[in-house]
Amino acid sequence: MRTLIRVIGLAGRHRGRLILAYITSIFALGLSLFIPYLVGQAINLLVGFEPQGAGEPGIIVAHTDVAQSALITLALLLLVASLFRGIFDFGRTYLTDSLSQKVSYDVRNMMYDKLQHLSFAFHDKEHTGNLMSKVTSDVEAIRRFVNMGMVRGVEVPFRVGAIVIYMALLNWQLTLFTLILVPFLLFQSSLVMIKLRAMWLHVQQVMGELVTILQENLVGIHVVKAFAAEDHERRRYNRKAEELRQEYFRNERLQGTNVAWMTLYFSITLGVVLWYGGWEIMRGNLEAGAFATFILLMNQLTFPVRMTPQIVGSFARAVSSGRRIYEVLDSESPVIERPNARVLGRPEGYVRFNDVSFSYDPRIPGLQHVETSAEPGQITAILGAPGSGKTTIVNLLPRFYDVTEGSITLDDDDIREFTLASLRHNVGIVQQDIFLFSATIKDNIAYASPDATLEDVIEAARVAQLHDHISNLPHGYDTWVGERGVTLSGGQRQRLAIARTILLNPPVLILDDSTSSVDVETERLIHQAMTAVMKGRTTFVIAHRLSTVREADIILVLKDGQVAERGNHESLMAHGGIYREIYDLQLRPQEEVLLDAAIVGDDGGDS
Amino acid sequence: MRGGMGGGGGFGGMMGGMRGLHAGGMNSPSMDNLTDEGVVGSAYDNKVVMRLLTYLGPHKKDAILSIIAILIYTVGNVSVPLFLLLGIEWAINSGQIIRLHTIALIFLGVTIVYCSAMYVQYILMPKLGQAILYTLRTQMFGHLQELSPSFFHRTPVGRIMSRSQSDVLQLTETFELMVQSIADILSLAGILLVMLVILPALGLADWKLSLICLSVIPVLFFILGYWQRFARRSFMRIRRAIAMVNGEYNQNITGVRVVESLNRQDVNLDHFKELNQEHLDANLQASRFSGGLQPIVEILIGFAFGVVVVLGGSLVVGSGDPTWGVLVAFPMWIQRFFEPIRHLTMQYTQLQRGMAAGVRIFEVIDLQPEIKDEEDAIEMPTIEGAVKFEDVSFHYVPGVDVLNDINLDIKPGENVALVGSTGAGKSTLVTLIYRFADVTNGAITIDGHDIRDVKRASMVNQMSMVLQEPYLFSGTVEENIRYLHEEASDEEVEEAAKAVGAHDFIMALDGGYNSVLAERGSNLSVGQRQLLSFARAVVGNPRIIVLDEATANIDTHTELLIQAALRRVLVGRTSIVIAHRLSTIRNADKIVVLDHGRIAEIGNHEDLLRRDGVYARLYAINYGLDRGQADVSGNGATDVAAAAPADDG
Repeated sequence: MRTLIRVIGLAGRHRGRLILAYITSIFALGLSLFIPYLVGQAINLLVGFEPQGAGEPGIIVAHTDVAQSALITLALLLLVASLFRGIFDFGRTYLTDSLSQKVSYDVRNMMYDKLQHLSFAFHDKEHTGNLMSKVTSDVEAIRRFVNMGMVRGVEVPFRVGAIVIYMALLNWQLTLFTLILVPFLLFQSSLVMIKLRAMWLHVQQVMGELVTILQENLVGIHVVKAFAAEDHERRRYNRKAEELRQEYFRNERLQGTNVAWMTLYFSITLGVVLWYGGWEIMRGNLEAGAFATFILLMNQLTFPVRMTPQIVGSFARAVSSGRRIYEVLDSESPVIERPNARVLGRPEGYVRFNDVSFSYDPRIPGLQHVETSAEPGQITAILGAPGSGKTTIVNLLPRFYDVTEGSITLDDDDIREFTLASLRHNVGIVQQDIFLFSATIKDNIAYASPDATLEDVIEAARVAQLHDHISNLPHGYDTWVGERGVTLSGGQRQRLAIARTILLNPPVLILDDSTSSVDVETERLIHQAMTAVMKGRTTFVIAHRLSTVREADIILVLKDGQVAERGNHESLMAHGGIYREIYDLQLRPQEEVLLDAAIVGDDGGDS
Repeated sequence: MRGGMGGGGGFGGMMGGMRGLHAGGMNSPSMDNLTDEGVVGSAYDNKVVMRLLTYLGPHKKDAILSIIAILIYTVGNVSVPLFLLLGIEWAINSGQIIRLHTIALIFLGVTIVYCSAMYVQYILMPKLGQAILYTLRTQMFGHLQELSPSFFHRTPVGRIMSRSQSDVLQLTETFELMVQSIADILSLAGILLVMLVILPALGLADWKLSLICLSVIPVLFFILGYWQRFARRSFMRIRRAIAMVNGEYNQNITGVRVVESLNRQDVNLDHFKELNQEHLDANLQASRFSGGLQPIVEILIGFAFGVVVVLGGSLVVGSGDPTWGVLVAFPMWIQRFFEPIRHLTMQYTQLQRGMAAGVRIFEVIDLQPEIKDEEDAIEMPTIEGAVKFEDVSFHYVPGVDVLNDINLDIKPGENVALVGSTGAGKSTLVTLIYRFADVTNGAITIDGHDIRDVKRASMVNQMSMVLQEPYLFSGTVEENIRYLHEEASDEEVEEAAKAVGAHDFIMALDGGYNSVLAERGSNLSVGQRQLLSFARAVVGNPRIIVLDEATANIDTHTELLIQAALRRVLVGRTSIVIAHRLSTIRNADKIVVLDHGRIAEIGNHEDLLRRDGVYARLYAINYGLDRGQADVSGNGATDVAAAAPADDG
């Protein structure tokens, strides 16, 4: 209920439109009732009717000329009434549509902005698919509710009430006959509606499973072929397709049955009205005109009755969708800016981890009592097995997560004293999974610095060793990349991310030295780019390459969230611990490959 | 659909004017240029419709029943106002109560019959539609399984997906729409018949009155048809706009870490608001369009009402012939022809889409698989493991040979390492053994059988292939290991896992062998996925194993596990390994060095080093700077051909 009130409150900003929609509805309703009245009048005019004499209805008593001109007047009135009803209907529909669209416009904007301000912790837990369905189908459900629930939901009872009262005034027994089944009808079809929704969700789920099978099959077609598993796959797919067919059929049958019942009800009611109404006319209890009016009114009842289950459904959906949307809108980011946070200028780059611990979610490796510091311009290489907390450490620095104990200082100030924007502006990151936006290469490089000129961008790309490749593309810096554009190789994407960071020019830098295997030429280019970007910045690098590790001033070896070893290459080699082990197994063999880079220059397959 | 088979021709006639815009779309489906998704052509394509009708074959009875139901339903629907009219004229105005009872009873009967017909129709319609959908889907999928890998190489997965999903749906929807159209046309014809012929014949209404009333039909047709053009345009605009909005959402959610770390929120929000505004505007425009129709339709109906009142009235007043019944019944007919007209004018676009979808679907279904078992292909006997290449050449594009004059004799149980730089043809060579493509020259034999003479499945079932990128299906660990070998017992699965050293980590998972893998096993590390794919490869105890060694860096521990697993997997089997690691190469019985599609050298490690040829050079480049050092690190994760992540296969 609270959710429903909040959803209704969303329309509050546009209440003028809502009220106008109600007003136009009332006018349209009035005219709707007026038209059957006019037809009834016309018939009464034509049919001489003696309420007392049950004898011979149908005798024409009106004088021909008078009747003729009265008829023409009525016809004109009908025309005018129809026109205005059309206009008011248009007004009502347009106002309602625009109201619901404006509400969904607002909600979309709110969701968008909220999502991009929520911390990593939130996004770690939420699947993209789930968020997408919130911003698509749940927002749509809200829109439908504004339309169906808030406007129609008020209008329909009004309309039904007015029609029923009018009918009752004409002949209450006939009205009773007409309406006696309506409550059952409404109840039944509302039930069907709710059942259909549950079934529909199931259909969607089965459909999703079918698509998964299809997609996995197509993407993994080499595996299928390699195992000659075609028949196996076919059986799997056919089984699911059969299930989907059954589900679909059940769903559609229920829907169809419901429509058939409704039609049966309205037709039979019409028959009853004809029969009983006719009888009443014969007995002289009903005017022919009133009878005609009655039938036309009954006809007008069809639409609201059919719509009622949908209105009921829209309420139910608004509650569940509203709840899902408010889950997002109400979430508080665990990383909060202090009220008196100040803007960080350009720090020199002293970074210190003071007894930092972090534990948040079992899926994110925790940290215990991490102690380390770096002078401006120093490089800290972080090594360790997967899950030892390497990524966690670097994610704490730009406050993607907050430390649970201890503190991190930048130039001796706790990083929580600064505004998030200014802090992150000074901490650049080259992430491991490099994300390209659907935009041109230039825009992607200038992503964080929208004011950068093309010259700046080119300069950054040059330093990142990417300029040559970009210039060779047909559209150069205007080449479209991302989902629908040119694909860049892993090495190129990484260098693009480096160029992005160079343009941003942060005093503190975080690098994730990607693990993907690349050919020697690319390796060389990446190495040069990395060296260039690290120059003069306090750098934390998650290292996989020996070259990077060797150049580091400080090597931090992590194990299970703790600092196992800290020192430089020589001291740690002498120490003979984990670092030595990693070096022997993993880093040294690389060294040899790296040396090849100097020799094998011809294999520049970097495209 | 149901009614579609008989009505197809008639419908085609109706749409004759729209025919021939693009008739030849589906003449020559070629593998390389499948029709583009965006192409929209004519709204009626006889070939597509005829072919679609063949899908009704197995459901003839339902289809015929369905036509009958449509007919009954239409007749009933049209005659409801007629009974009303009769009730008024024949019964009420006569003053004979018995007549009223008679009419009421007949009306009841008619209602029940026509609602039953409607009910039957509503059951048969989805049943037939779903049957066609099912057949199309499974046929399409089954056919895709037959196509050779090169097809998938050339055609993006997204396009095939959209053909198997949305095109199939689209076509089925069109099918149902065509039935709907037939019902609509029947309704209109029925109303015309009643108003112009039956009523005057019964003396219930004057045909002139009917004609004047019906004059609003062409006007409605014209206006609605004209309106559709705008409506369609604004509908397209909405679709574009919502695609942009959702695309931006998707991008911002998937890229949220970058957005936050680079402080782009404000810029992004401004950009998003623009897209969202466009979506709002598009919707408001569409609403104005569709809503604007309302006054026009209302006034037309009002006009018809007025005509009935004035003319019908004056007939009453004048001659006393037709009476007030027409004033009640005519408006009901007028309302009844509005809906079919609206439907019919809306269908053009959907028909266009459906026909285009049909062309695309049948194009795929008509593709001939490049690799097919011969009619007289035999079952492959139990494989010993002798693999022989005899003068094999291969090219995708004539003139550009990928492999040239390959002669290679592999004895049962031999371990062969393929070495060479990127593009040397290593992957192509192994895929040829699997008959992913046929050699363009020469022959490949297994145990003396030309692989083109045996049933592919019977051969491949005795072989295994491990790809460089381990590919897992959604499902449990166990299902993935067992994969094709549904007959394998739980023990055999476990044995396979133990053999490759995957058992320990599997047991450490929450559900053990029943753990459910996330999409493509993304909840496992690369190394673990690799081990699972090893286990999958050995579960059927294959005689020949083909392996593309992974080049990705894996953490040290897993790397050692994989090395050990590899050695165990290869023992006692004929194996062909695209090798990147020195240890693998040195342990091989035979090293085959490929260079530009030709075999440069064959021999073992020592032989080839002594020969001082291509291999020795490769070796020197990669390890030779310090011989002693290289030997020591032989067990490490060193990569010989570091420049070979993706080969040509």
